Amino acid sequence: MKGYNFAYLDENTKRMIRRAILKAVAIPGHQIPFASREMPLPYGWGTGGIQITAALLGMSDVLKVIDQGADDTTNAISIRRFFALTAGVATTTHTAGASLIQTRHRIPETPLRQDQILIYQVPMPEPLYRLEPNKSAAMRLHALADYGAMHVKLYEDITRFGRVATAYNHPVMVNRRYLMSPSPIPAYDNPKLHRMPALQLFGAGREQRIYAVPPYTEVRSLDFVDYPFHPGRAQHNCSQCGSDDSYLDEVITDNDGGRLFLCSDTDFCQNRQKAAK
Amino acid sequence: MTTLLKAHELRHSFGATPALDGVSLEVRRHEILAVVGESGSGKTTLLNVLAGRMNADQGTVHYHDGANLRSLSELGERELHRLQRARWGFVEQNPRAALRLNITAGGNIGERLMAAGDRHYGNIRAIATHWLEQVEIDPKRLDDLPMNFSGGMLQRLQIARMLVTEPELVFMDEPTGGLDASVQARVLDLIRSLVRRLGLAVVLVTHDIGVARLLADRLIVMRQGLIVESGLTDQVLDDPHHAYTQLLVSSVLPA
Ligand SMILES: Nc1ncnc2c1ncn2[C@@H]1O[C@H](COP(=O)(O)OP(=O)(O)O)[C@@H](O)[C@H]1O
Ligand SMILES: [Mg+2]
Repeated sequence: MKGYNFAYLDENTKRMIRRAILKAVAIPGHQIPFASREMPLPYGWGTGGIQITAALLGMSDVLKVIDQGADDTTNAISIRRFFALTAGVATTTHTAGASLIQTRHRIPETPLRQDQILIYQVPMPEPLYRLEPNKSAAMRLHALADYGAMHVKLYEDITRFGRVATAYNHPVMVNRRYLMSPSPIPAYDNPKLHRMPALQLFGAGREQRIYAVPPYTEVRSLDFVDYPFHPGRAQHNCSQCGSDDSYLDEVITDNDGGRLFLCSDTDFCQNRQKAAK
Repeated sequence: MTTLLKAHELRHSFGATPALDGVSLEVRRHEILAVVGESGSGKTTLLNVLAGRMNADQGTVHYHDGANLRSLSELGERELHRLQRARWGFVEQNPRAALRLNITAGGNIGERLMAAGDRHYGNIRAIATHWLEQVEIDPKRLDDLPMNFSGGMLQRLQIARMLVTEPELVFMDEPTGGLDASVQARVLDLIRSLVRRLGLAVVLVTHDIGVARLLADRLIVMRQGLIVESGLTDQVLDDPHHAYTQLLVSSVLPA
């Protein structure tokens, strides 16, 4: 598009972001501050993820954008269109065909490869913020690897509810060193973080933080030996493709309590439907 | 008895106020050392410096880690933090400042275990139950929030939370100062029996000579940032040499 640099951000800003990404990759799970720019969309719409995508996109990249697993929501469509306009890159809805995937709150069902990069939009990068709202105090806890308080929270969940009650954003230990927020992905997705062949990058625009999980890095969900982490999933089949192991959304269909379950990953679901025909 | 903690020529000022004016002392393994003196004499400042919570302007604190005497300032933040969370303990005058009031008694006691890497829920509960019993709180209160505990129970819970890692050295700042007289006696008895049974070394700050007499093996008397007298508790209290100690013992001074 005329009047704009390739992928919207100027080259100096991209270099600044790439430096933050390199640091993040060098210290898996550790939050790196960066000078987040104003983007032509509001905070909470993925300004952190978009800046990472803009800094990484090359002419030959193929971009996929999902919001809660779907390619066809307003947020996903506008971001995809934004980069089609400002960078002229090819876009796709196919997980397997994308080189860069920007996501909000899901990891695709189709396993990712070493030549792909997954970019998460992160609203709150600090896993300790509820326990330690003071940012510099939270940073000290990370520096000292003092995560006792986080386990106290899990202890309290089990004591009150009989199990760990975090269905989303369940905290993980990265490379046995840093406690990390996986962003609000369902606990169901947590095991996919572990030893994923693709590079995973996390961007928080408002909070001005970037962090990373390099390929094949150990990522463990916090739990207790006698209360192991177990990713939850609705015990149903997808009403479209019949999948019994994908992550499902519950859809209310009428006013009489009618409902059905659908794959949250639209690309995965459509591929299965095509294959069945 | 071997030296556990050793302070040399500690000096510290807040602005123009000298809170520590050249204090040296030793704490030996398994002994209870009381620090007495009127309000403002520098007791809390001394305790915070000894416990590595505060750096003095001058002077050194060494800790014997079993093998070597090591300077706290050379330990590094991470090692000091680990020491403070496992082998040492601190009891605040106000238990509300130390406890998490919106977390169950069990969660409060378990925190130091979890920080030290215990990842077995059942095990953590069993140990927490044991320590509730040790501080004479009904184990049925394990899943209760401390918000509803009495002042004496809160103080005992704070002690359990600190003892759970079986520390060797404990710092206490007026541990019964905020309690009613009737409750004080029970908490003091508890501290006395636990400390003996567990073989703890304790540095106990108090302005209350009675508390020192009940608990301490040795005593140092502070005034305006200086140690004016020290020795075995009975000797100092029965035969005080310094005029200030004589005033303290006859309870003429305001607390
Ligand atoms: N944070 C502080 N800022 C300024 N002055 C302080 C501070 N803490 C203590 N002081 C002063 O240092 C002196 C010693 O105080 P402190 O160690 O609290 O004595 P104690 O515990 O014996 O009452 C007092 O004069 C006190 O007013
Ligand atoms: Mg004091």
